[in-house]
Amino acid sequence: MILGRMIGTVWATRKNPNLARLKLAIVRPYFWYNPSHDVEHIVAVDQVGADLGQDVVVCLGQPGRWVAGTSAAPIEASVMAIVDRTEIAEESVQDEQVPFVIRDGFKPETLVWTHRGSQAEDRKA
Amino acid sequence: MILGRVIGEVWATQKHERLEGAKAMLVARLRRDGIRLVPTGEVVVALDNIGAQTGHIVTVSWGSGARAVFSSPDNRDVLADAAISRIVDGYSVDEAGAGIDVEHTE
Repeated sequence: MILGRMIGTVWATRKNPNLARLKLAIVRPYFWYNPSHDVEHIVAVDQVGADLGQDVVVCLGQPGRWVAGTSAAPIEASVMAIVDRTEIAEESVQDEQVPFVIRDGFKPETLVWTHRGSQAEDRKA
Repeated sequence: MILGRVIGEVWATQKHERLEGAKAMLVARLRRDGIRLVPTGEVVVALDNIGAQTGHIVTVSWGSGARAVFSSPDNRDVLADAAISRIVDGYSVDEAGAGIDVEHTE
C-alpha cells in the first residue's frame, strides 16, 4: 500500500457496470514502491469517504480490486484508510536515506516527526 | 518478499472494514551496497500484526502473500497488498567478489 493525498475526484456517467456506484478519487502519492512507470497521480476507488486534502492509504493490485466485492471489477487501486497521524522517525530520513519524503515540500499533512526512544512521550503529547 | 526498515507508523480510525485489526507501518525498502543495506528510496505502507517497531529490519510480503500473513480464521478477509511477515534478528551478506560473509545482528 502507499500513502498519498487525495487531491481530486472523478465523475463519470458512462462506465463499466462493475464500477457502478463507486466513487473515484485522484490521489497523489507521497512515495511509491516498484513503480511500473513514473506517475504523478493515481485514480483510486474510494469506499471510505475521503475528502479533498486528506492523507489516505491506497491499496494496489488484486487486493485493491476486491474492495468492490468481486475480482471482475476493473480496479487497480482503492482507498483503504483515512490517515489521522503519520509518524516518521527523524533519524530514518537523515543522510539522504529517505529524501523523497519531503520532496518538493510535498509531505503528509498529518506528518509528525518522532525520535527513536522518545516515541512514548511524543504520543502522549 | 523484500527487506526493509520500519521508519514510522500510520494511524487511521476511518478505514475500510476489511482493514480492521492491524497496525500500518511505513517501511523503507533496502538494497545491498557492499556489505551494508541501504534504502532504495521506496517506501511502502505495510500491515503489521507481529509488533514491529520503528528501526526494526523486517521482511515484507506482497500480494496474496500479504493476505496469507493474516490467514487466521478470524482475519481471513483482510485486504492488503503488503504485510510485515518477519522481524529480522540478523543477516549475512557475501561481500561482492571477496567471498567474505559478513554477519550483522540487530
